[in-house]
Amino acid sequence: MHLAYTPEQQAFRAEVRAWMETHVPKEPLVTLECREGYDQHVEWERTLASGNWGMVTWPEAYGGRGLDLIEWLIFEEEYFRAGGPNRANQNGIFLLGPTIMEFGTEEQKKRFLTPMAKGEVIWAQAWSEPGAGSDMAAISSKAVRDGDHYVITGQKTWSSRAAFADWGFGMFRTDPESKRHKGLTFILFDLNTPGITRRPIRQLHGDTGFAELFFDEVRVPVENCLAGEGEGWNVAMATAGFERGLMLRSPGRFQATAKRLVELYRKHEAEASPAAREAVLQAWMAAQAYAYNTYAVAAKIMAGGKIGAEASLNKIFWSELDRAMHRTAMQLLGAQAELKRFDDGSVNQWLEGYIFSLSGPIYAGSNEVQRNITAERLLGLPRVGAG
Amino acid sequence: MDMLLTEDQLSLAETVRDYLAGTHGPEILRRLDADGNRDPAIWQGLVDMGLTGLLVPEAHGGLGMGLVDAALLATECGRACLAEPLVDTAFVGVPWLLAQGKTEQLADIAAGRVTLPLPHAINPWVADGEGAPLQSVDPLRNLFASANDNADPYLLDLGALMSAAQLVGLADAMLHQAVEYGKIRTQFGQPIGAFQAIKHQLASCAVAIEFAKPVVWQAAQALQDERASAAVHVSHAKVAATDAAMLTAETAIQVHGAMGYTYEVDLHFWMKRCWALAGAWGTRAFHLKRVDEAVLGGTLPIGPEHTFA
Ligand SMILES: Cc1cc2nc3c(=O)[nH]c(=O)nc-3n(C[C@H](O)[C@H](O)[C@H](O)COP(=O)(O)OP(=O)(O)OC[C@H]3O[C@@H](n4cnc5c(N)ncnc54)[C@H](O)[C@@H]3O)c2cc1C
Repeated sequence: MHLAYTPEQQAFRAEVRAWMETHVPKEPLVTLECREGYDQHVEWERTLASGNWGMVTWPEAYGGRGLDLIEWLIFEEEYFRAGGPNRANQNGIFLLGPTIMEFGTEEQKKRFLTPMAKGEVIWAQAWSEPGAGSDMAAISSKAVRDGDHYVITGQKTWSSRAAFADWGFGMFRTDPESKRHKGLTFILFDLNTPGITRRPIRQLHGDTGFAELFFDEVRVPVENCLAGEGEGWNVAMATAGFERGLMLRSPGRFQATAKRLVELYRKHEAEASPAAREAVLQAWMAAQAYAYNTYAVAAKIMAGGKIGAEASLNKIFWSELDRAMHRTAMQLLGAQAELKRFDDGSVNQWLEGYIFSLSGPIYAGSNEVQRNITAERLLGLPRVGAG
Repeated sequence: MDMLLTEDQLSLAETVRDYLAGTHGPEILRRLDADGNRDPAIWQGLVDMGLTGLLVPEAHGGLGMGLVDAALLATECGRACLAEPLVDTAFVGVPWLLAQGKTEQLADIAAGRVTLPLPHAINPWVADGEGAPLQSVDPLRNLFASANDNADPYLLDLGALMSAAQLVGLADAMLHQAVEYGKIRTQFGQPIGAFQAIKHQLASCAVAIEFAKPVVWQAAQALQDERASAAVHVSHAKVAATDAAMLTAETAIQVHGAMGYTYEVDLHFWMKRCWALAGAWGTRAFHLKRVDEAVLGGTLPIGPEHTFA
């Protein structure tokens, strides 16, 4: 264990910092969950790409910089230090990208990764269905092989950014006789293909964060299938590992929130309860713990290790931390907490953040499901209903 | 920047784990409880493995290892609910002597001939020392009354760090015991471990333990590197480890039902050590205050770019 950055790593940090300081928008962007905000965030993706910051860990051949995970963490720390916006393409770069890297053909890598890193194609994840939420193996949307195409019929839902995005990646049942985890296939599709109808869903804050997708005999070329037909479940589990594990939520995000919470506490110290004070300290401690753990996991992966079901521990930890931090902020704000804008006109980011933090324990596999996985796969307890 | 525990470190910890699992199981705790608490044969085994000399420089007959290695092994001592004063003498006492340039006793310590009682103002007792005996809830702790004005901050940090390291090992062990019980105890026609109410509580313990461990390692490295902020990290480690261990203790007894409330079932040995160490070398309030002074007091830079400040 060696906990100091090399001169190269420090120089890299300085480079990221300098770039972020000049490029990160001074005013917060409009929320990503509406047309105007989405467009602003996509423009930011392209600005990032102009500095070649789209996805620093990817090989240069695919629009990256070929950097390692420590440099990625440094990048993320500086990104959140600078208050960088949410990534419009997060489901592409953090989830699908690594999955294509692992399972894609050379042709698929060339075709999909570079435009993803450059923010030219924004991706939406289309797994959930009305009847298949936590129980993803209940997916019933069908993809029927017809020559060199699949013909897709069915319905997806809760697909983040699908109201505006360009492409989607989904799981479809290619073997009509199959049950549960078998017979599913991972397919990439252009959201503008004829036969796809998008119906935006208004989220509890009033904006359009996700959408329903209706597929009516949508023809998708067979070469858009990732890994083999019927391999969908394994591919999706890898994607879910990236989602819950290292990538989707890097520690910088939570360390930045913890720091803002400390600043908020100082403003409200006079009327704050001792419990709120402890919650603020707890926020800093937990965000730091998350960072140390991520550095340890990164080191392990760099030494050739893998993340398995531990990704579930991670997902539980960051989502509950995020909710706790925002809950504390709401308590500190007291009667101001309900205001969408403060009297100086600034957006109440804590309120927006609190609402969003409530989704953390639900999306990416609910925390109940993560606790099931932890108990059964890490601790070895018997499966539900076992006799 | 590399937060990797090396193969060597992990395999040393595993060796000690296996050794203690084989020689220091619950039946030994029961025997010690019934008969004298300490056993020269157990101590000699630890000496023979080189553990008393782990942090003693090679020139004085030790292995010359560092605080991260020691913390990993203190975790193993916690896991085994070790009764002998190895952690105090070898992982707290030795680095404290070294910091003062006192080397006279090191060879004797490495050879297992000397143990070091460590009186400190933060504790109202001294463990494995001398004086009027005090009775701990933990039947395997030998405590003596101590009014001591030694307030050495480095000794306190070492004591707190190694308590934290033991606490995560204790927590691991209690979680394991509860999981094993959950597999064999059946009610309503199924193992109780198949009930989600049981699973989810145990999963929450796994989360707390998973995220306490790297805090302990990081604190050990900070203290080893003599980082100016090391004391804050030690306090963080003590709070995180205490919280994880207390949660796991309470969950583990709940999972055991009335069995967990007996002297018969092993769990209580671990639970009591956990209660003891939770308050030893600085209470939760003491350590939280040090974090408070750093984080809210503004003496420690915070934010994403200061992960290892
Ligand atoms: C903000 C947001 C963004 C999302 N984005 C996407 C996206 O981009 N793409 C996509 O495909 N999906 C997305 N989702 C959907 C998300 O993946 C699902 O909401 C999630 O998998 C849970 O499914 P569900 O909503 O149907 O809840 P349900 O499965 O109906 O669960 C309801 C409750 O029951 C509990 N429960 C269910 N099964 C079990 C069990 N076995 N044991 C114990 N408890 C159980 C759950 O934990 C939960 O508390 C998003 C959701 C949200 C909130």
